[in-house]
Amino acid sequence: MAPSPTVSTDVLIVGAGPTGLYGAYYAGFRGLSATVVDVLPQAGGQVLALYPEKEIRDVAAIPAIRGRDFVAALVAQAAPFHPAYLLGRQAVTLGYQDGEPVVTLDDGTRVHARAVVLTAGIGVPTPRPLGCGEEWLGTGLSYFVLDPRAHAGQDVVIVGGGDSALDWADALEPIARSVNLVHRRGAFRGHAATLERVRAGRTRIHTDTQVVTLAGDLAAGRLAAVTLRSKSGAESVVAADHVIAALGFISELGPLRDWGLRLRARSVAVDRSMRTNLPRVYAAGDLTDYDGKVRLMSVGFGEAAIALNHVAVDLDPDLALFPGHSTDGA
Amino acid sequence: MSYVIGAECIDVLDRACVDVCPVDCIYVGDRKSYINPTECIDCGACEVECPTTAIVPERAARKQDALNSHLTDSRAFFELPLPGRSEPLGNPGGARHAGEIGVDTPLVAARPRP
Repeated sequence: MAPSPTVSTDVLIVGAGPTGLYGAYYAGFRGLSATVVDVLPQAGGQVLALYPEKEIRDVAAIPAIRGRDFVAALVAQAAPFHPAYLLGRQAVTLGYQDGEPVVTLDDGTRVHARAVVLTAGIGVPTPRPLGCGEEWLGTGLSYFVLDPRAHAGQDVVIVGGGDSALDWADALEPIARSVNLVHRRGAFRGHAATLERVRAGRTRIHTDTQVVTLAGDLAAGRLAAVTLRSKSGAESVVAADHVIAALGFISELGPLRDWGLRLRARSVAVDRSMRTNLPRVYAAGDLTDYDGKVRLMSVGFGEAAIALNHVAVDLDPDLALFPGHSTDGA
Repeated sequence: MSYVIGAECIDVLDRACVDVCPVDCIYVGDRKSYINPTECIDCGACEVECPTTAIVPERAARKQDALNSHLTDSRAFFELPLPGRSEPLGNPGGARHAGEIGVDTPLVAARPRP
């Protein structure tokens, strides 16, 4: 087996939302190299995942900006300092070597950092469970379609009413033996054009209906059928080699919960310097909590600046806490 | 800050909001759903999904008496024991942990059925 890749950086930033991206800029401004890790495949955190098209109106000097453009501007602001992005990867464990943090990612990468700044916001998006048949996860049940070709010739049941469910029905319909799309409600949330295509195709749509049981040869990992129950209570059985549950995501603190951080409910307690209780580990943004906390991006940006200025001094005590003005170098 | 579900939800109980809440803080009663104001992160994902436009931001709700009563009522749903229960629901940290509650506040239960 190839040895796990190792990355060295001055500051590891965990979470590529607005606070983390501004932290990456600020690390550079203070002469520190930064590496940003995020479980999502793109930078932008909640803004890109939840409201990319919404207008943001509460950030100083920007009267109104679309979420998508706002994230692009934050990435551009940090770009001159060349932060390294490790996207689609999750920070899993924290250890120390010679007093400095070592964070392991879920792909085995070990990141040696002189300091860690946690900007993980509301945490890790986790697929919402189907509510039945969990024992089929990994064989007859999954939460994603990684490669549509894996379902060629299969009887597939897709559960959900949003864009993912519709996109996957649309993608699998030409290659699967059959596609049944099951949605608990009467109306679909996804893109109207995709819904039209799915309706026009050979996908069988079951609205006001839930999946109640998955049945087959569990030991052999061969799913055979699922039972559907409609709002009226009527049950029907459809053939199924695979169930894809596309029921959205719930965010949870995830592995950070086991790092030994002092927590306040689902948040990380910090002091006025944005230090956590762990050495060389700081936090900023929606993730943090203290008396009087206000969860806004404006506050997150301020906390990122506080954290990174303290990181700079902690790593090099000859530096001043006050960074000077960004206009000085112009 | 939080979002609040108003009277338009009563006897509709569509649950589209429940499906999109990223922190799973919308709890289903008997005839209405309730947003937990402590667990809500104010993202607004639910507001646009509601087929009866029952969901509004707290600051907007404060300005209208009818909605303001549901704002107070949403707190009561979690902070006071519901009818037939001895303990308040509190902040269960996710509706999927709590399951469907199946009970409404006295304010909602008193509404005549259609």
